[in-house]
Amino acid sequence: MFKPVQRRVRKILNQWMFRLRDAEPGEVFLNQRRVFIVPTGAGLAFAVMLIVLFIGSINYNLSLGFALTFLAAGCAVIDMYLTFRNLAYLHLSTGRAQSVFAGEEAQFELHLINRRKYDRYAIWLGFVGEELPDLEQAADVAANAVCSVTLAVKAEQRGWLNAPRVRLQTRFPLGFLRAWSYWQPDARALVYPYPEDNAPPLPMASKEKEDGHGRAGHEDFAGVRAYQVGDSMKLLAWRQIARVDPAFGGALVTKHFEGGTASELCIDISTLPRIMDVELKLSRMTRWVLDAEALGLAYAFRLGDIAFPASIGPAHRAACLRALALYP
Amino acid sequence: MMKLPRLPSTARPMSRDKADTLLLLAACSLVLVPHIGHLPPWTPWMCGVLLLWRGWITFRGNRMPSHWVLVPIATLSMIGVFSTYQTFFGREAGVAMLVLLLSFKLLEMRSKRDLFSVVFVNFFLMLANFFYSQSIGTALMMIAAVIAILTTQLSFQYTGVVPSLKKRLGLGAMIFGLAVPLTLVLFILFPRIQGPLWGLPSDVNAGRTGLSDSMAPGNISNLAQSDDVAFRVKFLDPAPPKSRLYWRGVVLGNFDGRTWTQQQSYAKPGRPISLRVRGKPIRHEVTLEPNNRHWLFALELPQAAPQIAGNPASFSTDLQLLAAQPINERVRYGAASYVDFDLRPNEPAVALRNWVRLPRAYNARTLEFAARLRQQGDDKLQRINAALMFFRNGKFTYTLEPPLLGVHTVDDFLFSTRAGFCEHYASAFVVLMRALDIPARVVTGYQGGEINPVDGYMTVRQSDAHAWAEVWLENRGWIRVDPTAAVAPERIERNLVTVIPRRLFGGLVNLNLGKNSWLSDIRLNWDAVTNGWNQWVLNYTPARQRSFIRSLGFDDADWRTLIGLLFSVSVLVMAAIAYLLIMKRPKRDPVQAVYAKFCDEFARRGLRRAGHEGPRAYLVRLTAPDSPLAADKKIAAARFLHFYEAVQYGTVAKLSSASTVSQLKSLLVECR
Repeated sequence: MFKPVQRRVRKILNQWMFRLRDAEPGEVFLNQRRVFIVPTGAGLAFAVMLIVLFIGSINYNLSLGFALTFLAAGCAVIDMYLTFRNLAYLHLSTGRAQSVFAGEEAQFELHLINRRKYDRYAIWLGFVGEELPDLEQAADVAANAVCSVTLAVKAEQRGWLNAPRVRLQTRFPLGFLRAWSYWQPDARALVYPYPEDNAPPLPMASKEKEDGHGRAGHEDFAGVRAYQVGDSMKLLAWRQIARVDPAFGGALVTKHFEGGTASELCIDISTLPRIMDVELKLSRMTRWVLDAEALGLAYAFRLGDIAFPASIGPAHRAACLRALALYP
Repeated sequence: MMKLPRLPSTARPMSRDKADTLLLLAACSLVLVPHIGHLPPWTPWMCGVLLLWRGWITFRGNRMPSHWVLVPIATLSMIGVFSTYQTFFGREAGVAMLVLLLSFKLLEMRSKRDLFSVVFVNFFLMLANFFYSQSIGTALMMIAAVIAILTTQLSFQYTGVVPSLKKRLGLGAMIFGLAVPLTLVLFILFPRIQGPLWGLPSDVNAGRTGLSDSMAPGNISNLAQSDDVAFRVKFLDPAPPKSRLYWRGVVLGNFDGRTWTQQQSYAKPGRPISLRVRGKPIRHEVTLEPNNRHWLFALELPQAAPQIAGNPASFSTDLQLLAAQPINERVRYGAASYVDFDLRPNEPAVALRNWVRLPRAYNARTLEFAARLRQQGDDKLQRINAALMFFRNGKFTYTLEPPLLGVHTVDDFLFSTRAGFCEHYASAFVVLMRALDIPARVVTGYQGGEINPVDGYMTVRQSDAHAWAEVWLENRGWIRVDPTAAVAPERIERNLVTVIPRRLFGGLVNLNLGKNSWLSDIRLNWDAVTNGWNQWVLNYTPARQRSFIRSLGFDDADWRTLIGLLFSVSVLVMAAIAYLLIMKRPKRDPVQAVYAKFCDEFARRGLRRAGHEGPRAYLVRLTAPDSPLAADKKIAAARFLHFYEAVQYGTVAKLSSASTVSQLKSLLVECR
């Protein structure tokens, strides 16, 4: 009963304390208010050691003991500055995020831009979130340089996947302190539906069979036409291409098939049984798109209001998959 | 723009990281080497073997030894420590254990956490080394070790690119260098507490006591460096002047030509001691630090043996105060002493026979000199004064670093080196007296003490250890004669430490260095540096801290003032470091700065420049028909961007950059 309240309070507290904010467009600058620093376990142990050294120095009246104790304390303070500046004043920006299929890992490219005159080392980046595993990547950014880090997160659902919050942290140079900062990258990746495993074969002849046209139609060779970008390699008329006079410019030609209705492949959501789960339908269609591309078959695509005429190629594929991913 | 190559970020097992591990071994060696001198001889060998083993493992990439190998060796070495010291406790045994612990830890270092434990043990060992030496050399060694440890520690932190060792050492040195100002502030201003906080382990003073029951001139040489407290005194009556503050210890009457020892044959207990006293006794309370001996100290000469519960005290026949049990913990006792007294004024000649004995075939020149003195007169007092005059006018110097003496120590001292400290003077004087047939003996103990103005306690330190002489005169008994006072009266009137530099400039030049002036210059400078070190670093006690703060103009130098000062000065130093490290921004091209302002200006109006947009593309967007900007703003933006483009990429020379920038700025104003 209190769980949601607790979670909410913690969220507000976190937001207030660590200045968690929503995605900011453009380049993000880690100013000093965004960088937090606390001692690590080793740092606390070091503090205890300093106290013991101090007491020892008092007890045995060791003047150099005091000097050593204070020197060690001073080094820890300098370490604090260095750890802080290793992270602070870093500029962050997001790069591209490749589209992926559900179940794969979405890769987000993040840029760390160092506009200061000193090198930064051992900055650990990782996505933070409730269910995210604690996987971190280390990065070094030289002075006046940019370093790109690609962080992956498992894409569970189709649709837009916003990059989770990123935590940047560092313990460099001595490891006595940990400086960290949170950053919500302004990046999102498109997640396509999961391509169904063991999906039924492409729905090519199903209609034709009902019409009684038989299966041969899609092999009705009707001549050649000029090559168009996107034509499958399998449809190229190699024999003709080989025969073409070089004076012609060595243009590529594609085999052209007639009797389209019989052979046309159409991936259409309405052909799938009505009782089928929508996600499964989308999943199957995704598989078919991939299969058709692999086989080099032109395919038409219909999904709700969207209807693409038969075509083939990366642009067509991307458009179809995008439609599948964003289907309401 | 350069892109750093990225290495796989999986944590490499530490044993593989050869360079880092070898660096760690080097840092540990730097810490361990100074300990070689005071460990039992087998320990350095053991550590050396263990470190070499670790180095070999690292170098060859072998596996670490298993616990089945390490545990028996570790157990054996623990047994070794126990059989050497008969205990696991106490300082010496503790240091040996720490040294071994470090060596073994290196052989079973597996994770990053182990690195930190090695670092911590290193720091403790560095501190432990200060038990034995706090010289400038030790401090330099400490600095080197700290830089090595810092470098090692940061080397382990790299995940991808590891810079060269030189660069890493540079970073380590930078951390050290930046820490130095803070260290100085803390050292000077952190409120000091007078130790010890608790009773020290029993072996703490072994080998460090200011006194021993024998004396061969030279034994006390390193003692003056020991700033340990021997005892503290609270005077209930007004304290006598410093020149009368003698704290009697062991009386030495046997001389074998080189070493003075106690006269055992004479020590017959129970003989009544005849004593004539004058004046009122001075009451005082002594808090004695443990010395592991039977010795108690009180102002010369106490009325009666002090009462200590469970440890009855008595006088020896030489009037030394002795407790029945060795003093293993701090004790406090009261005493009332007469500073004006005649000790054994009527002693039978037979009892005095032992005090004129001299070894044969030693110090012929001294005997000759005594014979000459003898011819001058018969009066013993006169002879004593003649001898003292000889010390006073004979260009004798007081130094803690006397030259070595040959077989005839007294001859050498009196007629050639003429430089030494209290032991030399006391020894030579007593020999001379005995050669003159005057009963004489060496008395060791402490002389002087330092009143702490805050609590009124007088502190007597090991560096106040002293040796003087007693001569016996008819009807007057044993009279204290301090030949050192004849040569260096400051030693008696002030503290030893303050005496040395004064004498150095007038004194050490005589030490056969006079011919070689640059050499003596170096020597003198070095002595001055050492003295400064002793005064300001080693002797920076709570009292000294207070007087220093007072000299800065703070009237009430209590801990509140100190904390306030410490806080404000630290804040200043930290701010300076922060400016140096963090706040100092890289200088920006002024043209770029104006351009950034321009972009901010339009970002406020909802037209943020995208990362990929150059000025021209941005202009297209700003001036597009659907842009919300007013027409005049569009024109202003266009004028600005055209000019900016020309300056940044085009033909407008950046030479007159000041005017270019101001022109840009005026164009920017129009955009607002």
